[in-house]
Amino acid sequence: MQPVIDYLPLLLQGLATTLKLAVSTVIVGLILGLLLALAKLSPRAWLSRPAFWVTNFLRGIPEFLVLLVIYFGGTQVLGQVFGDKAPNVSPFLAGLIALGVIFGAYASETFRAAFQSVPRGQIEAGRAYGFSAWQCFRYIQMPQIWRVAIPGLGNLWQGSVKDTALVSVVGLDDVMRKAQQAAQTTREPFTFYLVASLMFLIITLISMWLIAKAEKRASRGVAGAR
Amino acid sequence: MQVFADILTEYWADFLSGAWLTLQLVVISALLGVALAIPLALARLSENRLVAGAASAYSLFFRGTPLLVQIFLVYYGLGQFDFVRGSFLWPVLREAYVCALITFVLNTAAYSGEIVRGGILAVPKGEIEAARACGMNTFKAYKLVILPRAFSICLPAYSNEVIILMKGTSLASTITLLELTGMARLAASDTYQPIQVFVIAGVIYYLMTLLISWIFGQLEARYNRYITHAR
Amino acid sequence: MTTSGSPSGQLALEVTGIRKTFGEQEVLKGISLKAHEHDVVAILGSSGSGKSTFLRCINLLETPTAGEVRVKGELIKMGTRHGAPAPADPKQVDRIRSKLAMVFQQFNLWQHMTILENVTAAQIHVLGRGKAEAAEKAEAMLAKVGVADKRGHYPSQLSGGQQQRVAIARALAMDPEVMLFDEPTSALDPELVNEVLRVMRGLAEEGRTMLVVTHEIGFAREAANKVMFLHKGVVEDEGEPRALLANPNSERFRQFLSGSLK
Repeated sequence: MQPVIDYLPLLLQGLATTLKLAVSTVIVGLILGLLLALAKLSPRAWLSRPAFWVTNFLRGIPEFLVLLVIYFGGTQVLGQVFGDKAPNVSPFLAGLIALGVIFGAYASETFRAAFQSVPRGQIEAGRAYGFSAWQCFRYIQMPQIWRVAIPGLGNLWQGSVKDTALVSVVGLDDVMRKAQQAAQTTREPFTFYLVASLMFLIITLISMWLIAKAEKRASRGVAGAR
Repeated sequence: MQVFADILTEYWADFLSGAWLTLQLVVISALLGVALAIPLALARLSENRLVAGAASAYSLFFRGTPLLVQIFLVYYGLGQFDFVRGSFLWPVLREAYVCALITFVLNTAAYSGEIVRGGILAVPKGEIEAARACGMNTFKAYKLVILPRAFSICLPAYSNEVIILMKGTSLASTITLLELTGMARLAASDTYQPIQVFVIAGVIYYLMTLLISWIFGQLEARYNRYITHAR
Repeated sequence: MTTSGSPSGQLALEVTGIRKTFGEQEVLKGISLKAHEHDVVAILGSSGSGKSTFLRCINLLETPTAGEVRVKGELIKMGTRHGAPAPADPKQVDRIRSKLAMVFQQFNLWQHMTILENVTAAQIHVLGRGKAEAAEKAEAMLAKVGVADKRGHYPSQLSGGQQQRVAIARALAMDPEVMLFDEPTSALDPELVNEVLRVMRGLAEEGRTMLVVTHEIGFAREAANKVMFLHKGVVEDEGEPRALLANPNSERFRQFLSGSLK
């Protein structure tokens, strides 16, 4: 138990980085996902087709591989542009881009389904009362899509939190890497990886609770909604 | 384009052997995972609180923590215990390949168990009642009606789980296994052209995703014939 | 309990004092019934009268809170489990259920089995018949209800009326002592009701022992030899169909028949 207490401050530092990355990922991912969903729903094929291709491809390859492309590819590109004076790629930024793009790809499907679940008549009613297309989107569609989207987005958040662990492989000082360092110095790998996994488990449990609350809130006014 | 062709000519055998190992990990883990998922689902649904609680805890742990931590727990973690090191299994448990498989099986079993549980709960109550009303006992009702029905209800969700499992096998490269991602990492540092190398690996992964979807599409066409005509 | 319907055989089913509570609410307040061989008992009642629950208590799909069920004189043994009433011997229940074939409102055919498999499954796995024997029996029963040509189809490919006839064939194939019908025509489109009723009339004429929960007054009048009217969990009226339906003893039954009590 003593080594765990000794290393706890270090692990908590790592946990903060983990959470920072996860939250940033969600912000980037939500914006990207919304834009991709709108592109997919667009009647313009030059916009919707590539959006489908890109997201389908991203969803069909390992998250880890995406991270490796961004991190090592970033180094490669910077090297070609700046030569020897190339700056290092920050693991945090590489992780943010990789995980954000993946979150966006999945979220675009969640949003697309949510948009399609709003009956056409709702929008027609809005238009009939003189709402502009933007006003319809803002005041009629957006409030209704959350109810459908929240369970899916909740799952994506849980996935992102867990995926942050991958970024430790390219050097992010997250809880995973701190556990690794502690494991190596103390020669108690099982103890420290278990502590790290319990920290993730706590985040998972808190998230589950919050998502359930959010679902309940978003379902107000819907008869028979879960 | 020339660059891609050059890399492929040079490294095609590596990509191929990497993809083969990936496929092996996926197939073995999926089969053993399902074998474990069914008892796990039944345990989750058990009326015995202790059994149901233990199964829930298992499921929560493996679904609520990163796969990478799980791999490290097994590969690096087990060696911390003297009784493991001393056991006759140690030569086997030391192998990265075995550790990766153990982790993938335990992990996919947790997710698949939830899918199977959902499938069992989705079997229409009336069909189960009809089975009981004919005099089938619980075991026969499961064997003849509930599990076969749940199987076809589960197929689409399970297809996704296998794809997720395949993507997860890329983490085996972090414990020295040279599956597709592992091979790609080697080739990337060899050629100093990581983007091109990883894109090739990505395309191979994507083809495997398509393959898995196709196989499950065939299975659904075969086993869910009765649903296609529904309503 | 004795009615003008002349019992022509021995006692097939005897149910005494069935009570059933769900939470606070007592939906069955002590219901008894005797059915002799070849009896056709029509059980009428408005929705919420407890008539389906009563039927489901007979084959223990619902566990009665109190009361006794005897099939061919054999008492279903009851005990308690976790403080609630429960069958004492699950094996006995399974065996007796195989003698009490049930036809459900929603058919409840097994969607993943073909029509033939639906009719053979319980024969093979519950009665222990051989595959060939079961198939032969199934073919005969499917022919009897007029859907033999559908043997290779799946339930979802059939109309509601056809599915219900398959469900009847599934029940017949078990060679049941008593057949339980739980509103067999209520889920059907009006134009499909008759094809099912025709099959049921045929079974009544054959001398099958049947308990039929139904809304079809015409069926009760013509095919049944005994009518039972349930209201709010008690037997409000019972007797020989023609006489009783023409001139009910109970005011509530009169209202029900005139259509003012739904």
